[in-house]
Amino acid sequence: MAVIPIATPYTMAVTWRQYVVWRKLIWSSLVTNVANPLLFLFAFGFGLGRFIEDIDGMRYLVFVVPGMVAYSAMFAASFETTIGSFSRYFMQRNWDATLATPVTLSELLFGEVLWAAAKAMLSAVSVVIVGWLWGGIPSLTGALISLPIVFIASIGFACYGLVATSLARGYEFFSYFFTFWVTPMFVFSGVFFEIDRFPVVVQAIAWALPMTHLIAIIRPLSAGIPLDLGWAALHLSYTIALTIAAFVIAYRRTRRRMFD
Amino acid sequence: MTDTPVIAARGLTKRFGEFEAVKGIDFQVERARCIGLLGPNGAGKTTTMRMIMGLSTVSGGELSVFGVPVQRMTRELKARIGMVSQENNLDPDITVGENLIVYGRYFGLPPAGVRDRVPELLRFMQLQEKTDATVNQLSGGMKRRLVIARALIGASELVILDEPTTGLDPQARVLIWKQLLKLKAQGKTLLLTTHYMDEAQRLCDRIIVIDHGEILDEGTPQELIDRHVKGHVIEIRKPLPTGFVDGRFDSEDVGDAILYYVQAPRDLVADLPEAAVYMHRQANLEDVFLRLTGRQLREN
Repeated sequence: MAVIPIATPYTMAVTWRQYVVWRKLIWSSLVTNVANPLLFLFAFGFGLGRFIEDIDGMRYLVFVVPGMVAYSAMFAASFETTIGSFSRYFMQRNWDATLATPVTLSELLFGEVLWAAAKAMLSAVSVVIVGWLWGGIPSLTGALISLPIVFIASIGFACYGLVATSLARGYEFFSYFFTFWVTPMFVFSGVFFEIDRFPVVVQAIAWALPMTHLIAIIRPLSAGIPLDLGWAALHLSYTIALTIAAFVIAYRRTRRRMFD
Repeated sequence: MTDTPVIAARGLTKRFGEFEAVKGIDFQVERARCIGLLGPNGAGKTTTMRMIMGLSTVSGGELSVFGVPVQRMTRELKARIGMVSQENNLDPDITVGENLIVYGRYFGLPPAGVRDRVPELLRFMQLQEKTDATVNQLSGGMKRRLVIARALIGASELVILDEPTTGLDPQARVLIWKQLLKLKAQGKTLLLTTHYMDEAQRLCDRIIVIDHGEILDEGTPQELIDRHVKGHVIEIRKPLPTGFVDGRFDSEDVGDAILYYVQAPRDLVADLPEAAVYMHRQANLEDVFLRLTGRQLREN
């Protein structure tokens, strides 16, 4: 059984299943993935934006919109492969049913990841649209170019969530994941202010977090300021390496847990 | 090729850490037969079924399905097996029809092709009126029937059924029995576990009794009855009537009574004092099961 996932028709069958279920529960899903990040955006855009003139040489709204794009994608993908996947795996026994068919475990997991990334894009695109209408995106082209990068990073966010799911014995476990993984990215990855304001130790932690690297690429793009391509390549490589490692760990742990 | 058994296990072993759940069992399942795997909770039945499905790795021994070791099972072969697991692991939020269409895609079937087969599958399990109901609205028996219909979507040749009728009302059980026999008549192979001995007796061509990961005996229901509990059971409550010598009969002490297993009930009854109170009935598979696996409760 190959670990490396390829988007086979079987992977797409798993992703399609999530879509069919999502259509039924669309309103609650839109609240979490669209309304939630927009509330944050309004709160910080209006609230903090009033006190902060310029940050990093740009208006605060211009600064915070790409941060919220990254955060909303990260949150949506993380939520989907933790609470969502765990419910399917553990509560609904849906994974058992799926694996009793020709679908392999890596296809099942990658199908989950692809769907989580698709939901992340829904969140990210909503924030981009609202941010642009609000005047927080000077370069719409840049923001559009950043979307595929958000997608790649979201595949990563989904994989980190799957690692948590592969370790979880119950829903309580995810409180660790959200407290020590999701929240640190929310506060330390540079959504609301530049991370060089932190002490060096905190900065090191911030650069270990994948969302910091995503924001470092997409903020210049949507602000319309030049992006250092060398650095961007480095940020992207780090993100991809972490993603692959997370997927392999999640695959191995899940395999051991379900099949041994 | 037709002689190759659908399932063949030799020395099949499954260990969970130190614990050996299946201890080197040998068995075969021939084509177009219904084989029953009977045993108390924790005997190793579900583990064996999961190994056959490739859902559980084999710790030792050999296990082939359609003549191919499970470790090398291909997608094509996997698509020829249908699984009815113990839990109703359906998609609760979508409709009955959508459940089948979604599942069909896992077999590589295009949604349009599956959509054409949905009415036929639902009719087979008498669920055609429920096509557009969500699974949450179904009764327990309907959910079970839907799990069985779902297992047939890949045009399965082997259907593995883990307690298909547990908790169902008699009407639903009778329907499921009828349809399972129909599947067998179509040439499908069935491997079944159940705690209902009447069900096993009715459906199974051969029964494998398993406990603590070991096979205790196997044979047709009638063979097992003849071998272990003769043909008749005479139950005498304690204390035994005075003057009754029971040494020459095959007996089992069950606490407040003694069961005698005899071929000809007259032999024993003739020995009993006139006033003795006893109960006489035909021996059945339940007697075999309890005799082989003991009468202790198996809650953990």
